[in-house]
Amino acid sequence: MSLVQTQDLTKVYGAGDMAVTALDRVNIRVAAGEFVAVMGPSGCGKSTLLHLIGGLDRPTTGKVWIENVSLGELNDDKLTALRRRKIGFVFQFFNLIPVLDATENAALPLMLDGTNSAQARARAREWLTRVGLEKRLTNRPDQLSGGQQQRVAIARALAAEPALVLADEPTGNLDTRAADEIAGLLRQVSDEWGRAVVMVTHDPRIAAYADRIVFIKDGKAVDETKLKQDGSDNAALVTGRMHALAE
Amino acid sequence: MMPIQLTLAARYLWGRKLRTFLTTLAIVFGVLVIFSMNILLPTMMQAFATSLQSAAGQVDLTITHKSGETFSTRVLDQIENVDGIRAASGTLERPINIPANFFRNANIGAVTLIGLEPKAAQALRDYSVKEGRFLRDTDTNAAALTAGLADTLGLKLGDEIPIPTAQGVVRFKIVGIRPAQALPGNEPVYVNLPQAQKIFGLPNRINTVEANYTTTDAAQRAQIERTIQNLLGPDYQFGGLGTSSELFASMQTAQTIFNVLGFLALFMGGFIIFNTFRTIVAERRRDIGMLRAVGASRGAIMSLFLAEGLAQGVVGVALGIALGYLAGAGITALASGAMEQFLHVKIGAPIVEPILLIMTIGLGLGVTLASGLLPAWNASRVTPLEALRPSQADVEKGKTWSKKTIAGVTLLVMAVGGLLSQNISLVALGGFAFLCGLILVAPALVKPVAGLFGALLTLLFARQGTGDLAQGNLARQPSRAAITASATMIGLAIIVAAVGLITSITGGINAVLAKSLGSDYLLVPPAVGVWSNDVGASSTLADRLRGVYGVGVVSTLRFASTTINTEAVNLLGVDPTAFPQVSGLNFIQGNPQTAFAQLAEGRTIILNGIAASQLKANLGDTVKISSPEGEQSYRVVGVGSDFINTKIMTAYTSQQNLKRDFLKTEDILIQINLAPGADAAQVEPRLKDIAAKYPQFKFISGKAYIQENQRLFNASFSVFYIVLFAFALPSLIAMLNTLAIGVIERTREIGMLRAIGATRKQVRRTIMTEALLLAALGTAFGLLGGLYLGYVMVLGMNASGMYPLTYSFPLAGILIALALGLIFGVIAALFPARQAANMNIIRALRYE
Ligand SMILES: Nc1ncnc2c1ncn2[C@@H]1O[C@H](COP(=O)(O)OP(=O)(O)OP(=O)(O)O)[C@@H](O)[C@H]1O
Ligand SMILES: [Mg+2]
Repeated sequence: MSLVQTQDLTKVYGAGDMAVTALDRVNIRVAAGEFVAVMGPSGCGKSTLLHLIGGLDRPTTGKVWIENVSLGELNDDKLTALRRRKIGFVFQFFNLIPVLDATENAALPLMLDGTNSAQARARAREWLTRVGLEKRLTNRPDQLSGGQQQRVAIARALAAEPALVLADEPTGNLDTRAADEIAGLLRQVSDEWGRAVVMVTHDPRIAAYADRIVFIKDGKAVDETKLKQDGSDNAALVTGRMHALAE
Repeated sequence: MMPIQLTLAARYLWGRKLRTFLTTLAIVFGVLVIFSMNILLPTMMQAFATSLQSAAGQVDLTITHKSGETFSTRVLDQIENVDGIRAASGTLERPINIPANFFRNANIGAVTLIGLEPKAAQALRDYSVKEGRFLRDTDTNAAALTAGLADTLGLKLGDEIPIPTAQGVVRFKIVGIRPAQALPGNEPVYVNLPQAQKIFGLPNRINTVEANYTTTDAAQRAQIERTIQNLLGPDYQFGGLGTSSELFASMQTAQTIFNVLGFLALFMGGFIIFNTFRTIVAERRRDIGMLRAVGASRGAIMSLFLAEGLAQGVVGVALGIALGYLAGAGITALASGAMEQFLHVKIGAPIVEPILLIMTIGLGLGVTLASGLLPAWNASRVTPLEALRPSQADVEKGKTWSKKTIAGVTLLVMAVGGLLSQNISLVALGGFAFLCGLILVAPALVKPVAGLFGALLTLLFARQGTGDLAQGNLARQPSRAAITASATMIGLAIIVAAVGLITSITGGINAVLAKSLGSDYLLVPPAVGVWSNDVGASSTLADRLRGVYGVGVVSTLRFASTTINTEAVNLLGVDPTAFPQVSGLNFIQGNPQTAFAQLAEGRTIILNGIAASQLKANLGDTVKISSPEGEQSYRVVGVGSDFINTKIMTAYTSQQNLKRDFLKTEDILIQINLAPGADAAQVEPRLKDIAAKYPQFKFISGKAYIQENQRLFNASFSVFYIVLFAFALPSLIAMLNTLAIGVIERTREIGMLRAIGATRKQVRRTIMTEALLLAALGTAFGLLGGLYLGYVMVLGMNASGMYPLTYSFPLAGILIALALGLIFGVIAALFPARQAANMNIIRALRYE
């Protein structure tokens, strides 16, 4: 059984003439511990897919299961609790609470879940150390670089030990080196810490870190490519596929 | 336990010190307005009542011994300690017979020696002097006399007046000369109480106690009187101001106005707080979305906002109450100096009612929590994703005619409809609808109005191109601009409305005074308006007055009490030809020509405003009047009011009718006009001579009477201006605060402007222009709202049948509001504009 499964997932924004079908009957599965990249041209529905999987928004039709729980059947409180315990988010912008420091930001989901503060902070520090921020534990977001902020977001996403991490263009704001570091980190999340990762990206080099790539076009899942993490030139492969699909 | 919410709340508050400070400040100001106004109002009401009473020479309560004898000063101490007594004073007052040839210049039979305690006495009555000063508590051998006595005896300020006593002749130095006394009788000589007690050989004795109450509530006044009666026993006699008197009605009118102001203060305070919090909603939405995405439940979000609101609310309310008390006390102290000097009114420390404290705390915390929780509640209703998206306020919608606008326009149309209906409850409802409507349509109006003013400002700052930028900024976010502008609007609307009401009242009163007391001379009874107590004169008096050479018209008033449709009404008999020549009515229905013509024919009456509204009778209706001759049908030929009877249900009919149906022929008020070209200096002494034979009347010139009444009103109304000032200032500071918060909210945007190459000067100009535009917008709305509200109040006063007012356009109020709006707009812009211009670009860009 997959960790994530969608069935004919469809999202229509607006109504009548103005209706935009952002996602059109998408069926995908993500296994536990798997690292999946989602790619596609701008506006094709990648973010929408991620939001629906994460229970941030409700689909127009279709279903999402996480560990055999259908999100559509959960009320808001249950859905919120599920997000807190099972899912970690990394966004491109507005990732952190500006008035909290790095440790507190990372500890946020645990604290929201009722873990006592000392324990939550200890766990947050642990994860911040793992993502390489042991020297920035008490800095506020405005005192951190973009890459460092993104690492705090990843630490936060992992602190509650979720089964699934959803990352929407986590490297979109970063330079090549920082982007590589974040992608490597997400690879590590999957390999070493056994979490499933679903990451949206435009960058073939970043997508190359994944186990599998789902291509989306005009709201439909049009292709899937499996990658081997064995040192072969995945980036070139992905670029090739992208060009083929763009035809 | 909810540690994370509390931590978050603390961090939000602490991490954004400036914003926390300013929003808390808004609560402080909101609470301050509510609290200071409402503690000021009772004090001001007292000042108003006291000045009115002292000028009118009336007190709430007069106590004498039934035997007419003196009693111990302990009685005064007892009365002073009764709850609800604001001021009390004891006097010892006795006539002293003057032996023949005692004075060199003139022979007078007697004087009345009045011993009083100057300070206490002046808290109750007006003892103004023409020359010198009135007595002081520290005087030992001083006297004050009337100009009449001083003239008769040929005495001047600084001379000594001898008084014959049992211990021989005592001499008093004349320190003050009072205006001549109008009433016939012994001339008074005022001295300090201990001297009077010594002269009469009555140490520690007095024979009159006078007191004023703290309340105008009829039930409470009766309660106070009962308490004193129980205290003193059956040997004492009580007199004083009845609750049916005209003066008392004036005090109640004032109380109503003060209550309205108090309510407006509540509204204003609540609005200041609510508005400030609404300004920071947009950004909160995004934070809420983020928190929800990482797993914060709705409950957690609500408790976060609750904690923040409570923290700010408690601090803000506490500070607001403290500062509000200081402000109230400060204004009272400032005003009391002037009032003691000019009105001889002593006012105490502000009064804090427990209910006010509870209400202030409730409202302050309630509005703070509600305005914080409302966005939190709204944000938690939508999916986290929707909350994460920029809110409506940040996104300019293509269509300006949103649902809100349509609702607003509907409200405005309804309000205007209400206005046209002239129905008071519809108009009042309309006032509320009008304000709400303005708030709702404001966003849609931002663009055109900003465009209009913007074009002007662009001309001014043509070369910088910042006028365009500022205008664009506002037009892009009309809701936010509208929220800020409506803060200004409410404040200014209230000022314009209040000034409108006050100018209408003063204007109205002056007009009515001139009209109903416009005759050259009057013979007035002691209780003007409470006719039933007055002893009149037969028509011989009027005839004799008519016989004086140089007299043109003499009009008299006759009185009968009756019931119309079972309601008690004062029926006044007038001469339909003479009355309109010397006096007149302000007609609400019908007109003077036909009304007085019809009054001369058959059973017809003119109702005054309050009678018409109470009886629900209109022009042309027929009413049933009970008379000693049985029930009669009278036709209403007009509705109009005069000054004296405005607050008492009154009907005017012809003296013929009064004679036929009520058998009344006594004149109780006489008004005299001189013939054209007559010499007043010759006629007046003759009239005075005739009047002197009728001691139940006071002979005065119409001009003097009007002036006296006007002085009274002007003095009393200064109180209203003080209150208005106390209201306007914090409201305007609050507006300044809101504008400043608006700028902090845009820190990042400003950083962006600077980053893309805007100079400091350009940023400063942009912010300034924006603030000016907002102020202009708010001022424009405020004027509209204020005019409507003022009209509502005036109409309300009319409907309640108090003063017959015509709405006078408050030009002064409008000019003041315009000036205030724009001046404060500039001040409000200066600080944020500097702040914005000097902002560190990088930090601004990172600011969230
Ligand atoms: N709230 C919304 N209302 C209306 N349309 C929307 C809304 N959100 C997204 N869309 C539309 O849905 C489509 C998919 O949007 P989505 O954000 O999922 O694209 P994306 O693949 O993430 O694009 P990008 O790579 O640029 O981030 C787009 O056409 C977008 O315009
Ligand atoms: Mg996207």
